[in-house]
Amino acid sequence: MLTISSAVLQVSTSDITTYLYIAFFGLLFIVQFAFGTRLQSYFAINEIGRGLNKLKVMKDKARKDAIDYLVNVGKASNDPTQRVDQFLDYVTIMPVDIDPSGLVGKIDHVVTTNNDRVRTEVGALLNQTNPVTISISENLLEVATSLNQIHKIVRHFYLLGKKTNSYFTLVQLQMLMPMIIQEADALLNATDSFKMGEPVGDGIGPVVVSRLMAGKEKRVIAKDTMMAVTEYKGRKLYVLKADGPMAYVGQPGVAIQKIVGDMGVKPSAIVMIDAALKLEGEKTGEIAEGVGAAIGGIGVEKFQIEEAATKAKVPLYAILVKQSLIEAITVMRKEIAEAADRVTEVLNRVIEEKTKEGDEVVVAGIGNTLGVAQ
Amino acid sequence: MMSSVPGPDKKTKLLVYTIEECPVCGQKTKRAFAVGDYVTKDSSKCPKCSNVTRVSLVYAEGVKPSS
Ligand SMILES: [Zn+2]
Repeated sequence: MLTISSAVLQVSTSDITTYLYIAFFGLLFIVQFAFGTRLQSYFAINEIGRGLNKLKVMKDKARKDAIDYLVNVGKASNDPTQRVDQFLDYVTIMPVDIDPSGLVGKIDHVVTTNNDRVRTEVGALLNQTNPVTISISENLLEVATSLNQIHKIVRHFYLLGKKTNSYFTLVQLQMLMPMIIQEADALLNATDSFKMGEPVGDGIGPVVVSRLMAGKEKRVIAKDTMMAVTEYKGRKLYVLKADGPMAYVGQPGVAIQKIVGDMGVKPSAIVMIDAALKLEGEKTGEIAEGVGAAIGGIGVEKFQIEEAATKAKVPLYAILVKQSLIEAITVMRKEIAEAADRVTEVLNRVIEEKTKEGDEVVVAGIGNTLGVAQ
Repeated sequence: MMSSVPGPDKKTKLLVYTIEECPVCGQKTKRAFAVGDYVTKDSSKCPKCSNVTRVSLVYAEGVKPSS
């Protein structure tokens, strides 16, 4: 009797467990099915919210850094806070592109107008005329503006996704968040190097070219851009870079157009030295060679150089120094600086191989010349 | 004033150095970066031949924290 009842009991217990098991997984399945995306959205909202807070801290710090620099180093006469805030929200309206002919000229015009405006306004804000300080202030404000924009755009999609309960908006943003934070972090780190006036990784081209220009007579060839004429193994070199040690990038496009146009130089080669973004896994300071116009940015300078080279049928050669985004906009790393000697060797070899004695060659060092004079 | 920035892995600090090179004898000296230094700037006297050196490079190098 006792054995039978315990056997019955045994059977029923294991049955209950089985039912519970089934019920549990069934419920889990239903919850996952019915509320899965909502749960995911909830996690996404949380994660984006945390990222957004980080971005806010970053943009506030960049803004504060800019204001502090204007006050402490720039000796701004009045409190520049209000002016800086107006600055951060200033918009540049790009020209219409439904009729693309002549578009580059229009973009150039808008961008140049904006750059001139920034310099005049910063100059007026500061109580001194040191061009290095003014150029650093320009760059600091640019960084603060970029971070402000990034924060605004992320916030826009975050709020939009939350409001419309759009799972895909939120999840896309969540997936992009780590990369956005990384980029914002790089920008914020750049302010430290800018404030100190240290050369940045992007300045490797100018460093190499400054060695060729040292001790030579220099002249202004385009806005913020210097040129010198030198010689290498019987070739006449027209060497150019932005005017350092200010944080300028200059107008290498206009400069090259002038050299092959107005000045009537007939180069057999144009060699451009620039920093290039490395892919993950590539080594910092590695040198790559190639053909084409090695220059980043919005595309205006690149277009001008390509057009000038094509018109004059001059081959374009590129020497690139690999680095990550953060390395390009923060103080130059040893690996990059030490590539300068190797770049010079490559440059000499390219000149020897591609041109002959008596030829003319244009050598352009592309990049921000902060902390690199000539 | 020694300038430093956080390194790639946050733990290593990057210290910034200025390299001075003597144009006459090629002697290189490494010292801490000072605000106002820039590449091609005339710098201190060469310890060997007392010519005026020029700043040839400014770069950051990682140092492991001593702790
Ligand atoms: Zn010496």
